[in-house]
Amino acid sequence: MTKISAQPTSPNDAGEMPKSQRFMNILEPLVLLLPSGIWLLLLLVLPTLLIFELSLVPGIRPGDIVNPSGWDNYARIFDPLYIKVIQQSLFFALGTTIICLVLGFPVAYWLAQIAPPRWRNLLLLSFVLPLWTSSLLRTYAWITILRPSGLLNTILSSLGLPILDLLHRSPAVLIGMSYSLLPYMVLILYASLEKLDVQLLEAGSDLGANPAQVFWLVTVPQTFTGIAAGSLLVFISGLGDFVNPELLGGASSMTVARLVYNQFLGSTQNWGFGSALSMVLILVVSVAIALLIKFGDAVPKR
Amino acid sequence: MQSAVALSSIGLSSCGWKLADVRAQVNTSGPRDELHIYTWTQYTDEELLKTFTTQTGIKVIADVYESNDVMLAKLQASGGGIYSVIYPSDYMVKKMVELDLLAELNQERLNTLDNLLPRFKDPIYDKRNRYSMPFSWGTTGLLYNSEKLTNIPEDWDYLWQNQEILSKKITLLNDVREVMGAVLRLLGFSYNSRNEEQIAQAYEKLKTLKPAVAAFDTDAWRNQILAGDLLLAMCYSADGIKINKENPKLKFITPRSGSSLWTDTMVIPKTAPNPDAAYAWMNFMLQPEIAAGMCKRLSFSTPNRAAIELLPQSIKQNPNLFPPESLLEKCERITPLGKVEEIYDRYWTQLTSS
Repeated sequence: MTKISAQPTSPNDAGEMPKSQRFMNILEPLVLLLPSGIWLLLLLVLPTLLIFELSLVPGIRPGDIVNPSGWDNYARIFDPLYIKVIQQSLFFALGTTIICLVLGFPVAYWLAQIAPPRWRNLLLLSFVLPLWTSSLLRTYAWITILRPSGLLNTILSSLGLPILDLLHRSPAVLIGMSYSLLPYMVLILYASLEKLDVQLLEAGSDLGANPAQVFWLVTVPQTFTGIAAGSLLVFISGLGDFVNPELLGGASSMTVARLVYNQFLGSTQNWGFGSALSMVLILVVSVAIALLIKFGDAVPKR
Repeated sequence: MQSAVALSSIGLSSCGWKLADVRAQVNTSGPRDELHIYTWTQYTDEELLKTFTTQTGIKVIADVYESNDVMLAKLQASGGGIYSVIYPSDYMVKKMVELDLLAELNQERLNTLDNLLPRFKDPIYDKRNRYSMPFSWGTTGLLYNSEKLTNIPEDWDYLWQNQEILSKKITLLNDVREVMGAVLRLLGFSYNSRNEEQIAQAYEKLKTLKPAVAAFDTDAWRNQILAGDLLLAMCYSADGIKINKENPKLKFITPRSGSSLWTDTMVIPKTAPNPDAAYAWMNFMLQPEIAAGMCKRLSFSTPNRAAIELLPQSIKQNPNLFPPESLLEKCERITPLGKVEEIYDRYWTQLTSS
């Protein structure tokens, strides 16, 4: 009986692997995983535990002794005021996801299927290029565009149209966030649409489906994993976004990220409550990541 | 280093450690010819640093911040840091003294604090200037666009009376005590009210103004008002006068019913690596020519009497830089209020989160 062994050496007659081989089996993955494992442990796991510990101390201020004693900080989150802030964060994240999906899908489709293959890489690169500049600078650029005396209104007024007062309101935040996260959506959708089997589309239309039906019944299910992955990624990033609501939102649009910022760097100095809010954000993001792992798998359904 | 110790101790005891502990070690191991200062964005310029280095041979590295709270949080999170001179405002000095962060100033090493104006010799936030040295002072007021606004603001209630015109074109300071204090003053109460009912009243009044406020901002309003996007900004007198120099159509007024009198000071933290250079810096700043020069270039009021003598008449008589006594009588200093501050914070969070 021939066995195709994946190991460099095969077991000896007694059916046991030599000690050195066993050692190598353990050592090899360990050495490969150790650097990133230590990195994750020190920079992700331990700080999260630290935040969790701080969140269990009601009303802690810098200089106090840390004694985890209660869930008061979490109870405070259920105040209608803070529930509203969480709703606002969810609204921005969901809104951004939908906008990115609606705007990004046609672009990705065009890039993957319709654009000439010679130009594909160049077009993709040009789409990703804004990511190479600082996200903070891009948000400041939006302030310049959306200001009452900014670029957009200058163009509108020169065309005789009424000016739009967008800055320091929710639309500006949505615009800024969508702009920042659109390249990610396009990239992920592109990866999924590239693998779309054109023959399936042809088969669909051969069997009598019109283009709209072909889209909804063939294209979307085939690219479902890409859509799920892109949407969840944008949702997660949008949920934790601080720069766009802070700079473009002004006095309106308080989100959880801004609230956490105020707790730590504002005059309140309520690090306990800020930690509790952070833990809630981490929880929601974890749920989203779990969904991502489940539905964003790379193998398309047949 | 601090955080590594904290993290490892979690595994062992997991409770009973001090959060953001700033330990005051006697740390004179810093390089002798280097001075790190932590100051406000508008208080240094290249000329000042170069003059100091030519005079004393000590290199100065200035880091800047925009709000007292951010400065305090960063100081506590980094366990004191590398700074030998910090520029907190008056109420923050008291807070830092209570947190045991500041070293007492050795008066003999400082050249004549007698030059100070009487109001600053024994201030309420720091008796006899034991920990801090006043550096600049001013009031808080309104900077408005005189071109676009036909009626001129004279007092805080201008904001409420003209809410429709000003809709989304005003910014207020991102400072709970300044904004709530101004409204308390408008309602006839003290900036430092301890009465929850009064604070609640101020909150209700601010809530009616909130829809017209574009942002709570201590700095970014500058470009916006210069570009014409804002009609009115609440700001500190030093900032207002500076913008007025750039664009004379933007005028600054201190409200009639009084406002807050702020003082920015220089302090030496207990964790300062180079206290000698810190004293050299302070003495440098106390020189009348230097203080007068800074006043001219950066437009803030100095409490140094000898420096005021050296200023040109136009600056000495500027009513925004040196308001008349009658107005100063109505201005209050913001003082820390201990537990009562939580009440202010609660209403402030409600206001900014809605």
